[in-house]
Amino acid sequence: MWSRRSLVKPRINRAKPAQRMAGFRLVILNDKLQHKKFHLNMKNFFALLLAGTGVYLPEDLPKPPGSIPVFPAPGDLALAGGVDWVIPKVPSNPDNAVILSMVLGQQTLRLICTTTAVQRKNVGASGPEKYTEAFIKKQIEEFNLGKRHLANMMGEDPETFTQEDIDRAIAYLFPSGLFDKQARPLMKHPTEVFPEQRKIQWGEDGRPFHFLFYTGKQSYYSLMHETYEKFLNVQKHQDQLTAQDLPLEKEKRNLAGSRWLTKIELEEMLLEQVSDDDYSRFIQLLQKLVALPCADIEEKYIQKFSKELPVQLQKVVIEPLQHDERGVAFSTGEGKRKTARATAVVYDNGTGKITVNGIDILHYFPVLQDREQLLFPFQFLGRIGKHDMVCTVSGGGRSAQAGAIRLASAKALRSFVTEKEVEFMRQAGLLTVDPRVKERKKPGQEGARRKFTWKKR
Amino acid sequence: MLRSLKGLVCHSLKPDRGRALPRAGLGSVSSQDVPAEKPRAIFHTSESDPARHSEQHEGRLYSIPLEELRAVFPHGLPHRFQQQIQTFNEARVMVRRPALEILACLKGSNFAHPAVRYVIYGERGTGKTMTLCHVVHYCSRQGWLVLHVPDAHLWVKNCKELFQSSYNKDRLDQPLQASVWLKNFKTSNERFLEEIKTQKKYIWGRRESTEEGRPLREVVEQGLARARSASDAVGVLLRELKQQSQRGSFRLLVAVDGVNALWGRSTLSKEDKSPVSPGELTLVHNLRKMLTNDWTGGAIVTTLSQTGSLFKPSSAYTPQELLGKEGFDALDPFVPIPVPNYSPREFESCYGYYLERRWLQHEKARTEDGKAELRFLSGSNPRQLDRLAGPL
Repeated sequence: MWSRRSLVKPRINRAKPAQRMAGFRLVILNDKLQHKKFHLNMKNFFALLLAGTGVYLPEDLPKPPGSIPVFPAPGDLALAGGVDWVIPKVPSNPDNAVILSMVLGQQTLRLICTTTAVQRKNVGASGPEKYTEAFIKKQIEEFNLGKRHLANMMGEDPETFTQEDIDRAIAYLFPSGLFDKQARPLMKHPTEVFPEQRKIQWGEDGRPFHFLFYTGKQSYYSLMHETYEKFLNVQKHQDQLTAQDLPLEKEKRNLAGSRWLTKIELEEMLLEQVSDDDYSRFIQLLQKLVALPCADIEEKYIQKFSKELPVQLQKVVIEPLQHDERGVAFSTGEGKRKTARATAVVYDNGTGKITVNGIDILHYFPVLQDREQLLFPFQFLGRIGKHDMVCTVSGGGRSAQAGAIRLASAKALRSFVTEKEVEFMRQAGLLTVDPRVKERKKPGQEGARRKFTWKKR
Repeated sequence: MLRSLKGLVCHSLKPDRGRALPRAGLGSVSSQDVPAEKPRAIFHTSESDPARHSEQHEGRLYSIPLEELRAVFPHGLPHRFQQQIQTFNEARVMVRRPALEILACLKGSNFAHPAVRYVIYGERGTGKTMTLCHVVHYCSRQGWLVLHVPDAHLWVKNCKELFQSSYNKDRLDQPLQASVWLKNFKTSNERFLEEIKTQKKYIWGRRESTEEGRPLREVVEQGLARARSASDAVGVLLRELKQQSQRGSFRLLVAVDGVNALWGRSTLSKEDKSPVSPGELTLVHNLRKMLTNDWTGGAIVTTLSQTGSLFKPSSAYTPQELLGKEGFDALDPFVPIPVPNYSPREFESCYGYYLERRWLQHEKARTEDGKAELRFLSGSNPRQLDRLAGPL
């Protein structure tokens, strides 16, 4: 089950000892890549390997520039160990296979690859500052370069290659069967990958850079100072205006659609721990600032700490009635329940006849319970004999199909009915999709909930 | 609590009944005899003679007196209907269009011509058997000799005893079924059995025989006394009746319910486990001969039934599907009579009857909404309505 959809088969390096590189594992891709565009491009970009008895590295593989960094998927067995680089093809070799060099994260390349691009330190073992600034910068450069090369590979324009395109390309190149999306191979901007961290706060002589370093919470206190400075600024401006007898501008800032940063967001911003008291003091100060009449001057500063609340969900649009060629008004609705999908067309001026997949409901649903489910929306609105209905349904079992048709007919009836009644229907639960589906069976149990029989011995 | 109503429900005005009837119980008698009988609702009719039923009675219910019921229908009424008769203490049959059609045809038919065959068909639970019973009631009122086979399916399945026929080595006898049927036949047609005489001598065994000119009653009794020869007795009876009806002294009605059993398959098997086709059974063989239209002076009314049929899909209801090629050819030509679900008027009538008899106890059942709900859920199918009304 691990080899599902994976084109990549890891193989043990059986190369001649002279050529074997410690710490390498080479992987040969099947030359069954069908995607034409990719293939043509890959011809330009990938080094060749004969899929023979052994695996060997061609001599002319000094790591060519334009290798694309790909961040590894730690759990993905298809790329056991993680793929780091997709190496562009050396033009002289005409074959069609592809090499992906897999580098175990811990070990560095030696000898063959001379470019610094491939070097990776064991980042986890270094001190409080995990990644140096220079390292991050390097990663960013490599990312950008790799992005361009990936664009070239996929035949797209490097200038307009967005993150979504990158994601799609990586998903294509490294198909993974893992369920967790975060465990799959990804290629993102290093700022998203490496968490932001505090740089080293003191220089070589041991002297801290920030004057508030010895308070312990330098960012927090500097923030408070800054905010209070803005506060005093605004007060000064206010005094000036009153001195000049000018009217104080009083534009009410709309606080309804926004909220302050949460404590966690503030911590992320300041990159240090903030206690609850400190947080509340900060928010109080901000509120005092906003309460001043002339706070618009510092609007930009305040906006850094406020966030828009999500827009209210749009109301569901009810479609108007349509008329068919006879002039009869009708309306359609769709519904689903478990695996059943149904569409219903409800006609006006009817006699209460209902047809499902061309069969009368008395024959399609011999069980009373299903017919009661179909009856429910009409009975609720008091329109039992007034509408005709033609439905199609597929999937599911008898109960699921009945539930799906019920939802579809309720949705279709919305067009015939006033808004108040639609609200009543919604409260009655006629318009809600039933979210219950079959629960998954877990390993070590007989069913979803049922455990195996417990034996004392 | 006995609950039943299959298909048609019969109503009729009973002058001595008051309006407020107590809730149905076994043999309940109205304790309050309100002398002024308000006219029973429109859905009743006082016409209890089927001969006088016409379109104006369509959708209404008429009743059969209980004594007459025992005489005319020793067997043949659907089981649920029998339960309902016991519950309501009256037998009410609804007059419906298919029955009226057959009655009109029977009234107008010329009995010098070969017997006309009528095949009543329809979906499940629409009232085919009740239509047949209505016709049987009419014919018995008219003084016909009624040969009523309540369910031909009973003869081709679940037969415990099968014996090789002494008359014909290839065929098989069914003593139990034959004797049961003979008993019922005797109850329904007592006087005819006295009048009609045999025309041939029949030898039943080494010591038993029936002389020529003896009343048919003796044949029947012979069959009842000796189970082994019951099937042959039935055969003899059928033969005699067929021959003598042509003379015109009496009219013969052959009423068979579930006629598709005669040409289908059977679940019986011989001792060597080979399957038995219905043609190998004596009873079936004789009945088939009866159903051919080579005799005059009567009529043949049959019903198709999927419910008891063997090896037929539940969606099959047309004569083609249920009879199969063999049966269709055997019965061809026939007059097909389709029986549909309740029309709105008939539905109202049935619903009104239930209400009146306090069968529907639920308070919501009395409202218009309740009626609409019942109509929707039952799909105006008589059987469904009956089953729905049961728990309410």
